Amino acid sequence: MRARIKTYSIEIISYYTGYVILVVALLMLLPIFTSLVTGEWVPMVDFIISFEVSLIVGLSMILAGRRTKWRSSEFQWKHGFVIAALSWIVLMFLCALPYWFSGHMKSFLDACFDVMSGFTTTGLALTQDLDHISKGLNMWRHILTFIGGQGMIVLALTFLTKGIGGGYKMYVGEGKDIELVPNIKDTAKHIWRISIVYLIIGTTSLWLVGILIGLNPVSAFFHGLFIFASSWSTGGFAPNTQNIMYYHSALYENVTMVLFILGSLNFGLHYAVWQGKRSEIVKNIETQSFFVTSFLACVLALFGMEKLNIYPDVMSDFRRIIYNILSAHTTTGFGSVYARQFALEWGDFGVGIMIIVMLIGGSACSTAGGFKGLRVGIVFKGLIMDVRKLLTSERSMKVYKFHHIKNRVLEDNIIKSSAVIILCYIITFTIGTILGTYHGYTIMDSAFETASVTGNVGLSIGVTTTSMPAIMKIYYIIAMYLGRLEFLSAFALIGYIGGGVKKLCKNLLKR
Amino acid sequence: MQKLIKTIIILLVILSPQALPAKAATTVSVNDLIENAKELDGQEVTIQGETIGEAMERGDYSWININDGTNAIGVWISRNDAETVTSYGDYKNIGDMIQITGIFYRACKEHGGEADFHVDTITVIKNGYQVEEELPISKRIVAGVLTFATVAIVLLYIIIVHNKVEKRQV
Repeated sequence: MRARIKTYSIEIISYYTGYVILVVALLMLLPIFTSLVTGEWVPMVDFIISFEVSLIVGLSMILAGRRTKWRSSEFQWKHGFVIAALSWIVLMFLCALPYWFSGHMKSFLDACFDVMSGFTTTGLALTQDLDHISKGLNMWRHILTFIGGQGMIVLALTFLTKGIGGGYKMYVGEGKDIELVPNIKDTAKHIWRISIVYLIIGTTSLWLVGILIGLNPVSAFFHGLFIFASSWSTGGFAPNTQNIMYYHSALYENVTMVLFILGSLNFGLHYAVWQGKRSEIVKNIETQSFFVTSFLACVLALFGMEKLNIYPDVMSDFRRIIYNILSAHTTTGFGSVYARQFALEWGDFGVGIMIIVMLIGGSACSTAGGFKGLRVGIVFKGLIMDVRKLLTSERSMKVYKFHHIKNRVLEDNIIKSSAVIILCYIITFTIGTILGTYHGYTIMDSAFETASVTGNVGLSIGVTTTSMPAIMKIYYIIAMYLGRLEFLSAFALIGYIGGGVKKLCKNLLKR
Repeated sequence: MQKLIKTIIILLVILSPQALPAKAATTVSVNDLIENAKELDGQEVTIQGETIGEAMERGDYSWININDGTNAIGVWISRNDAETVTSYGDYKNIGDMIQITGIFYRACKEHGGEADFHVDTITVIKNGYQVEEELPISKRIVAGVLTFATVAIVLLYIIIVHNKVEKRQV
């Protein structure tokens, strides 16, 4: 009986992982279409090959677990977590194929690095000669970051023809937990509806500003679309080497700033505001936390830079300091200074502030990374609660609350789980920093880059290059992946594989 | 005393023949500009690289971006001078290779603190050209074989997963 259940678990995982792969594979039709329209024939064939390989893998996995189609009731939490974690890994390899075929990558590992960077909305790139890559590949890079921001599982759930019991479990497995409406499929649809409305508004705004700053209309459209995808998903990819500095425009930067701040907010908050609950913006613990930490970081950075006399006037301070701080805090990663300028000009104080805000990140259940303002707010409130409890009578039974979409009781288990996730981020960050220093980078450079990958930011201080040791590339891929899935799914996958191997060994020994 | 030592060191770096010369007509790379931004700030230098993307007109001036293989930088240039550039690099084109002499600013006050380059003179060293696409035969064969395999698995999927007999059995 137990053997039958085990087999069935594999079938469920195979079926739904295949389904997620199939949906993401279909997205390759967009760069195929782009290449067709722009007459880029070689990239078109690259995408056709990648599409076919992904389709074969996805359908094979669905076929392997085909009986699941009629057995959705046995879906367990572990399945949801393992499917989310496994889908991301398999898709990393499949989505890296067009990168690898393009000839712009020095190794397949670099291609995987860029894909994981896109999926996790990090935005670090190892793609070579970015200024000469095709429109098709650029479309693919930005689709990956846009989809990654909302979540591949969210995308797959949107296209389900009928609701499944395990939908919510997969959704949570991808690091999201907010239910906009009681039905998870409709929640996924609402997330996409919000993103598509912003896609139209954001792309049109950037397109018009692009024309205004001198780009030709066709190119302004592609730039607008790509930069929107990166801004909204807090990704940080850009179609050219200079990133946001390519445009030389304060107006263009300001539009992206509005978009990435909006992108870093919780989808639940967006939905509440759309429902007319505007007071949520002020009451929500996440927006309060984001406002306090970003204000403090900006003020401290301005004082720090003023002391070093780096920038000549207020406009420069705004475009170089405030923009980068907010880009880091929202985990976007658009850089309005060169990577090396952080190391050479900002000083340890400025770099230190950047490290802190990159680790904090944006809101939970948004496109942003980091350990999230919600958790920072909860732990901070928990600390205040404990201090108050110490100072008041033991007989006092006051209930402490916080507001996140609705009023919630601040319980010890919520504080504990928030603190545990923050601890996991800190451990990942510490290991990465030590690894970097072991390979000869300075502690500040190493800490900056590790904070950037762990928080899914994408700003670089110059460590992330193709010449970086392979072990660091692999660690950064793992850190981006863990940071995005918020550890639990990845731990579930490791546990599931570990448990399977252990049972297999036991069976072999018995024989 | 410390200030004097620093000044002497910077002077030695700038004047040293092995180091980064700030003299006009001596070419430095974009990465060298960034790495030595404080020393070269406000100095006349020469850089050379490929024009990329497109020119963005702003009144009597234009922004063009050049990439020299080490990094890319924005170049502030008069519209007349910008018109000497005929090709910009992208997927289908190699841009003009230009050599420009002008002032490098680490944090340009005129342009919101951007690290940029204001051009005095421009020379097109080599004209850009269109790149011919070549589709390797191996890719055509792989795409063809995979098309058959994909059609086969799609048919298999339709037959097996949508097979009502199996659904009833399960």
